[in-house]
Amino acid sequence: MQGIKRFINQLRAKSPWLLHFDCGSCNGCDIEILACLTPVYDVERFGIIHVGNPFHADLLLTSGTVNHRNKKVLANLYSQMPSPKIVVAIGACGLSGGIFREAYNVVGGIDKVIPVDVYVPGCPPKPEAIIDGVVLGLGKLQAPQERNGERKEA
Amino acid sequence: MTETAVLILCGLIAGPVVGGLVSGLDRILTARMQSRIGPPLLQPFFDVVKLLAKEPLVVNVWQAFCAYCYIAAASIALVLFFLQSDLLLIFFVQAVGAVFLVVGALSSTSPYSQIGAHRELLQILSYEPLLVLVVVGFYLETGSFKLTDIYAWPHPMLLKLPFLFIVLGYALTIKLRKSPFDLSTCHHAHQELVKGLLTDYSGPFLALTEIGHWFEVVLMLGVCTLFWATSWIGMAVLLAVTYFLEVLVDNVTSRMNWRWMLSYVWGVGLTLSLVNLIWLHQG
Amino acid sequence: MDIRAMLTVILVMAPFGGAILCIVLGSSKAIRSAIVLATGAVLIVSALMLAPLVPFRLSAATFLGVDLHRIIQVADVALLLIILYYGFKHRQLTVIVLAALQLGLTIYLEGFLVKGPLPVERIFCDHLSLMMVLIISIVGSIICFQAIPYMENHEHHYHVMRSRQPRFFFVMLLFLGGMNGLVLFDDLVFMYFFFEMTTLCSFLLIGHDRTTIATRNALRALWMNSVGGAAFILGIIAAYHETGSLGLQKILTPWLAGSGVYLLALALLCLAAFVKAAQFPFQSWLLGAMVAPTPVSALLHSSTMVKVGVYMALRLAPGFTGTLLSQSVAVFGAFSFLAGAALAVGQSNGKKVLAYSTISNLGLIFACTGLNTAESMIAAMLLLAFHAVVKAMLFLSVGAIEQHIESRDIEDMRGLYAVMPLTALITVSGVIMMIMPPFGVLLSKWMAMEAAAQNLYVIVMVALGSALTVIYWARWAGTLMSDPFAGRFRPEHQPALTWLALGPLCIGSALLSVGAPWLYLRMIAPMMMGPYSPAYAFKAGGLENAYGTFAILPLSVVATLGLVVAAVALKRAFRAKIVSPYLSGLQTGEPSMFRGPMNQSVKAEAKNYYLDTIFGEARLTDWVNLGGGILLTLILGGAL
Ligand code: SF4
Repeated sequence: MQGIKRFINQLRAKSPWLLHFDCGSCNGCDIEILACLTPVYDVERFGIIHVGNPFHADLLLTSGTVNHRNKKVLANLYSQMPSPKIVVAIGACGLSGGIFREAYNVVGGIDKVIPVDVYVPGCPPKPEAIIDGVVLGLGKLQAPQERNGERKEA
Repeated sequence: MTETAVLILCGLIAGPVVGGLVSGLDRILTARMQSRIGPPLLQPFFDVVKLLAKEPLVVNVWQAFCAYCYIAAASIALVLFFLQSDLLLIFFVQAVGAVFLVVGALSSTSPYSQIGAHRELLQILSYEPLLVLVVVGFYLETGSFKLTDIYAWPHPMLLKLPFLFIVLGYALTIKLRKSPFDLSTCHHAHQELVKGLLTDYSGPFLALTEIGHWFEVVLMLGVCTLFWATSWIGMAVLLAVTYFLEVLVDNVTSRMNWRWMLSYVWGVGLTLSLVNLIWLHQG
Repeated sequence: MDIRAMLTVILVMAPFGGAILCIVLGSSKAIRSAIVLATGAVLIVSALMLAPLVPFRLSAATFLGVDLHRIIQVADVALLLIILYYGFKHRQLTVIVLAALQLGLTIYLEGFLVKGPLPVERIFCDHLSLMMVLIISIVGSIICFQAIPYMENHEHHYHVMRSRQPRFFFVMLLFLGGMNGLVLFDDLVFMYFFFEMTTLCSFLLIGHDRTTIATRNALRALWMNSVGGAAFILGIIAAYHETGSLGLQKILTPWLAGSGVYLLALALLCLAAFVKAAQFPFQSWLLGAMVAPTPVSALLHSSTMVKVGVYMALRLAPGFTGTLLSQSVAVFGAFSFLAGAALAVGQSNGKKVLAYSTISNLGLIFACTGLNTAESMIAAMLLLAFHAVVKAMLFLSVGAIEQHIESRDIEDMRGLYAVMPLTALITVSGVIMMIMPPFGVLLSKWMAMEAAAQNLYVIVMVALGSALTVIYWARWAGTLMSDPFAGRFRPEHQPALTWLALGPLCIGSALLSVGAPWLYLRMIAPMMMGPYSPAYAFKAGGLENAYGTFAILPLSVVATLGLVVAAVALKRAFRAKIVSPYLSGLQTGEPSMFRGPMNQSVKAEAKNYYLDTIFGEARLTDWVNLGGGILLTLILGGAL
């Protein structure tokens, strides 16, 4: 039983399907995220597929400040992902609200709304850093006991 | 009796195994055509096992029912193929699966599922008559609908039914949901469709639809082998060439709309099959 | 008295008796219901008792001491006079002209043409007749049962002051008797009389509500069917002229095939059959008939009246084997199949979908009749039986749905499962029985396709048509289940008689499908004589011939297994986490609602594709009428 569980966790890490959600970013981070998904970086090597739909996703890649209008959307998408699921927050804005932190409409950070597993700092982070963050997240899929809100920085 | 049991088992195993491998190969080939390396060959299996192990989420309980009916029908169709049953019957059973998949998608109120389901219905509308006509072609050539008789036919069918083979190619492309006919669901249409037909299937249910699809792929490839059933090499070459062409077409064409699909496929497909059938009739 | 003769008399006369009782005593609801139930029960029992006794022929010279032929003559003239009266009453010139023409021709036939004493072996009941009798008596009675609560509701809904139900049930029962008469008699004049009787009954039933549109559609049904009647009587005259006989079995002796007038007679009789079966270009009467209360639609248009058409064609088929007439009937039927299916795709009105689907299926039966091989005739007869049962069930469910949601539009049935779970499930299972193996309708479609494979025109049209058929049924089934989340299953409240009609029909059609091999062996194989031979063998639980196998029983077993697995999955799914469908993350939590502009809740809606730019009535009707007209000309011309 334990063996099967470990095997399935291995496979989970081999087939992370990711959903990208722009939660009010300046689009800088999104351009970098999408750059990772281009043939240049060929993330399909690792079984990563970019899906458009939370029902199919294992990883939520999300960038931006989170504002009062779209925080509900973020929570909704998260609730529609079947567990186990990993959230990777991208960019200074996603981490803390970044340079928009003081703005009147900004909630300031993904983890104000949903639990985040991996934080990728940068304004914007480089594609390599984002891929690294995803890989860290995969580690958590593989060893689920490490999750539970424990934070790691890439 | 044992032979039957072995054949049934073969069908049940060949579906997921061969189907998964074909799908893996497909992804590697596609990646190479886009100058990428692509995923490992076994990637589809990783995906499916992962999905099976995910938490089940449902938007409507009937979706679960339909997913199971789909895979049941798809596997029965393939088993019937291995048992060398009646070709027309196999297609009817296969159509049951397609219908249940659509009904399952329609049971969700999400507009994306709904549109995907309707497009799938249009795809069914496009390919079903063609498949029936291909089967009729086999009948006119061999005088039988039974696979035993068709496999026993001493001449390669391709020489007598070249146009019908092209017609089957169209049907195959639609059935495999390859460009330019990937209207109902595909990985690339996030903006318009999200995932169309499959949008609201998730976790284990999505895995079931994927495995069901593999069964269907194997079944369709099995039908392709009928065109060169006299030698193993002929079969293998025919399959390899056909599938390579499928992947190529998938990569060099872009998604079209259903109006175009319906008029083009019916126009070209019916003309080609009529010409071929008239040959057979007169010959 | 011979038991067979007695049963025949009961089957024909009991409904007449019931009808008359209805109009005399039926003003109270309880008595009326009792009469209808009793008549139905008598019919069902006698039909079942008749089953082991076929085939037989009997002489029927007198009834209560009077010459039977004379009675029919008088009744026939009276019937035509009634039609003439309605023609004058509604100032409908076509009806008047056609009725007068028929009257003239009848008098000519009876008074001048027919000479000498007629042979009196008039009752002829073989397995085909028996099948029809069973359908009419069982399905027809069940429909009448369901009509009891339906009409109660109906009159309540339309605030009818003085109940017209006695009259309604009078006509319904009369109709059943007429139908039984038509299929049990062999004498053409008798058949003609009953044919006209069904015409008149359908006119009365369609016009029952007395609205302008009902009256208009009823008159349309009347004149179109009168065209059929005129063709019928012309056909009789031609046949008598050529063979000197009025007995259908006698006329169909194969040695006559080839003579021009003889074939013309058959072609005219076929034309009458096409009109009755509402084939293109005569479809509009059937569509118009959909304004009537739903039990009427079910009785007239699914299971019985339109089946008269195919029954006649099946009877006549041995007479024209291997002729151009036969071929053109096949092409005509296939064309109807395709056109009916195409028009059904364009419809969002549920009853119209049913109507077009009926036309389409009858077209397939005609196509099989025209192909005229043993295989195709078997397919035709099986389709006749299965279609009658399943379609009756679908009509009745749509009737129940319509009374509940007050609409017959498929769009309004979206998510019906949440409102009427059991009816929705029965409807969906009806749909499944229409398009999926191992059920009987598909079995017969499979046989039809394999039989049609030799004929290019037919097979191409059948292939296209069957794909279209899948579309409109699947779409409907999916729409019924389209609900954000279906909670616990609690059957809705319906009158007991409604369940009593729907339940047995649903279970019965499923069982009938499983029993298809025995249906074939018992009922159809004995029919395969003369030009036909029993084409299928019952082997390994399936029907098999030299070039095809349909493993009915193994498939049924496997399908049941699949169903059980899926049902278990369904049960487990109730325990799974329920989430909103994907609405771009904007769902509010209420079913199908998303957060729109200004924080307003907006309902996410997607309508079905009806493709009416391609398959719409407005676009296709003229073309299919033209096509049907051309093919009909071909049939009549080809006969000469
Ligand atoms: S972190 Fe920088 S690049 Fe990313 S969204 Fe914020 S401001 Fe834009």
